[in-house]
Amino acid sequence: MRRPAANHACLPLTRRAFALGGAAACVAGRPATAAPAFRFGLTPVFVDDEWPLLQILKDYLEAAMERPVEFVQRRTYKEVAALLVAGELDAAWLCGYPLLQYQPMLAALALPLWRGASRYQSYVIVDAGRGASQLGALRGDIHAYSDPDSNSGYLVTVSELVARGEAPEAFFARSFFTFGHSDVVRAVARGLAQSGSVDGYVWEVLAEIEPELTARTRILWRSEWFGFPPIVAQRQRLESPEITRFATALREMRDDRDGRRALERLHLDGFDPASEAEFSGIAARMRRFAERE
Amino acid sequence: MARAAIPLSVRVPLIVAGLMLIVGVVASQIVIAALAQSHERQARELARTEFATLAHALAPMAVRDDVWAMFDLLDRSIDRGAGLSAERVSLVGPDGAVAVSSDPQAAPIGSDGDAVLGAAQPLDGFGFDGSAERLTLQTPLSHRGQDLGALVIDFDARALAAERRAAWRWLVLGNALATLTLAGAGFVIVRRLLRPVAQIAAQMQPQDGPPRPIPPDDIPERDPELARLYRSYNRMLEVEQARVSAHLRSAERERLAGLGRLAGSLAHEINNPLGGLLNAVDTIRRYPDRAEVVRSSAELLDRGLRHLRDVVRATLDTHRTDRAGSPLSRADLDDLRLLIGPEIARQEQELDWTVSAGDGDLAPLPGAPVRQIALNLLLNASAVTGRGGAVGFEVSASDATLCLCVSDTGPGLPEALRPRLLSDAPVAGGEGVGLGLVRQLATELGGEIMLDRTAAGHNRVRIHLPLARKKENAA
Repeated sequence: MRRPAANHACLPLTRRAFALGGAAACVAGRPATAAPAFRFGLTPVFVDDEWPLLQILKDYLEAAMERPVEFVQRRTYKEVAALLVAGELDAAWLCGYPLLQYQPMLAALALPLWRGASRYQSYVIVDAGRGASQLGALRGDIHAYSDPDSNSGYLVTVSELVARGEAPEAFFARSFFTFGHSDVVRAVARGLAQSGSVDGYVWEVLAEIEPELTARTRILWRSEWFGFPPIVAQRQRLESPEITRFATALREMRDDRDGRRALERLHLDGFDPASEAEFSGIAARMRRFAERE
Repeated sequence: MARAAIPLSVRVPLIVAGLMLIVGVVASQIVIAALAQSHERQARELARTEFATLAHALAPMAVRDDVWAMFDLLDRSIDRGAGLSAERVSLVGPDGAVAVSSDPQAAPIGSDGDAVLGAAQPLDGFGFDGSAERLTLQTPLSHRGQDLGALVIDFDARALAAERRAAWRWLVLGNALATLTLAGAGFVIVRRLLRPVAQIAAQMQPQDGPPRPIPPDDIPERDPELARLYRSYNRMLEVEQARVSAHLRSAERERLAGLGRLAGSLAHEINNPLGGLLNAVDTIRRYPDRAEVVRSSAELLDRGLRHLRDVVRATLDTHRTDRAGSPLSRADLDDLRLLIGPEIARQEQELDWTVSAGDGDLAPLPGAPVRQIALNLLLNASAVTGRGGAVGFEVSASDATLCLCVSDTGPGLPEALRPRLLSDAPVAGGEGVGLGLVRQLATELGGEIMLDRTAAGHNRVRIHLPLARKKENAA
């Protein structure tokens, strides 16, 4: 079965990451001013057409920050986080899990608002026709994770299994990473995997824009609520003018026409100032997983 | 018989058209074979390209065991080819289990690879007959020396097969059309080229009457070669008609010459007894009172007159036109003997007369020509034998032929006269009276003429006249 054209609305594919990187470099090749470009790292959580979204977002950010903006896309959270820690990026859209992993060096700048709140869930999905109703029924599955540094796409599931006294690597017969939440949905929908761990925000947005895909899957289990994947910067640069200006631009996005267009494509309501407390749930999951290890 | 019914002017164009059809069929076969090879080569190239492209991208992913990347790659390779498109692509690992497949429902990860490998042919040297709708191929996959298993592709060859069928259909249709057109054109052209032959044939053998010349209006002056041919035919016809006319005149002359000779003999035959008869009349006048003498003279007159009556009757029978179509009979032959008798007697020759055939054997043949043949041969034999010689006449019949043999003790037929009897070639006039007529009549009767010698060494002319044909015709 061929993938519908609407599938291209989703970013988290590795292949697309490369394509997006090229597109981002292309966008950055036309600086609006003589100032150095603001390098913004992207993670596989976007849900929209890549190029139009990037262009709208870039137009807004460049106008708001009065400097060129360069998007940098990498396949994994780890790569983006490493670039950010190394100072290769000025800011990045990461998951709460890598944020907490690099907490001494990284800090959250802003939290996206989705459906009025800066929180989301992790889903464990199965084929729509499968009769299972409990996580325990997934024993022996081929399971699709999103990213080993993703909270919703990995940490939540493995920590839940640990909490239930299971060894994740033994619980599933086989597991693999798609490095994209939407591809977890596709892997399950196509039967490549019998179950998958996916970002609830991504699944819900896909259900709106690509319902025929999510209709082939079913949410078997929902996690508790976690802090939405934040916009992150180096902790030591939080008060720097460029970071402050960037945080302000994010917060004021909902007040700007181009900003609102970008938010609409992201299916978000806006950005709020970040609070470390939002990620306590992820921290608890990390502890649970660490206890097992 | 049926082949003879088709005229040359139709047969040759038909042969040309037939040969063109054969050439067309052979050419089509050659082109179709080449097309099949081309399609197989195309299938091989398409398959190799697909395998090479996929293997190159897939191998590093397989090394990393990057399931999703492999699946995404394989999934995007489906249905993208033109002609030969991949329907399912699978990687069977070195452990024999499915590592990944573009159709995970049918070939789940970790399932038995044999179900995927199935009847897959090796990529190198696989066979493809062009009509198959599915083609499953496999090739080993490795990366920098590491065995990664086997890459298996199920190709959907329907488009290629349909393309081949369409090409085959159009090719055959086109060739058939071209061949039929060329064959038809060839038929028409050759028939047109052979029209002069048909016209000459029609003029040579018209349905009614003898060969006719080609009318001057029909001689195409724009085509000098054909015009020459027509004129040559007309000249040949004129020459032939002149020859036939000369032959007929010659035959008539011969017949008249024979009649003259016969008339001479008859005059002699009549004249001889006339003296005796007149003497008898004179005796009667002189001794009218002597009853014995008168009776004796009257009997002499009676015998003489009866003899004259027989001679006259035989002559009349031989030349009466109203008996021309009467069948041959022994009476005809007896008449001949009577007619030739005086000439034989005059020449003081011996006549050996043997007729073993009965009226039933003779009846299939017409009387007039056979009598004429025999009379001419006997007159000639008598003439060449000379005084005191012997002439033989024998008529015998078998189932199929009537043999008419005339022999003599003369020096034989001179070489110069033999062509008159044995060939149709024109000859100069001269002696051998009636020999040309003998040949003409014998030929008309379908007979054969042979010269040989009898056991006694006498010269002999044998004429075999077929009886069977006459019987059939009569029937």
